[in-house]
Amino acid sequence: MSIGGEKGSASTKTPADFLKSIRGRPVVVKLNSGVDYRGILACLDGYMNIAMEQTEEYVNGQLKNKYGDAFIRGNNVLYISTSKRTLAEGSS
Amino acid sequence: MATNPSQLLPSELIDRCIGSKIWVIMKGDKELVGTLRGFDVYVNMVLEDVTEYEITAEGRRITKLDQILLNGNNIAIVSDNHSFNVYMPLFREVTSLWTISQTN
Repeated sequence: MSIGGEKGSASTKTPADFLKSIRGRPVVVKLNSGVDYRGILACLDGYMNIAMEQTEEYVNGQLKNKYGDAFIRGNNVLYISTSKRTLAEGSS
Repeated sequence: MATNPSQLLPSELIDRCIGSKIWVIMKGDKELVGTLRGFDVYVNMVLEDVTEYEITAEGRRITKLDQILLNGNNIAIVSDNHSFNVYMPLFREVTSLWTISQTN
């Protein structure tokens, strides 16, 4: 694929677009500490502050805790990932 | 002076990578490879078909992800797929040592 070959609004998805598109969807949020949070994304903002529902906390791929509602402060977030594949049993 | 065509802003360089596979090296023994879909002024990135390589106290781990918004805060280096093609084979050589965390 040539550099910039697909450049254009059709294929470009900025972080703002992404944030808009994932509200209400199941997501995986990984923190800088390496801990994963999987759940339904209730809402989020431009700081990557996140409110999640049905949250599961995974440390080293193992379920450690569950929270009905959880707020994650954006500065701790490494990435937010969509998960139509729920990661639940994937990691070892 | 300001319009010298040989001048290129760093962000233009990244913009040229939209749609291509890029290699992101993070602070702290973590690297990601994926297709760049977009980025913003903080160099937060939207990446697709991502492979995450991390080295932790528990060992090496590879994670596959569909689509992610990567926080720009911990990004150290971004490289295009040419460098990736040169260096990635070295990585693959040692993938047998990695724990594969397949996510689907």
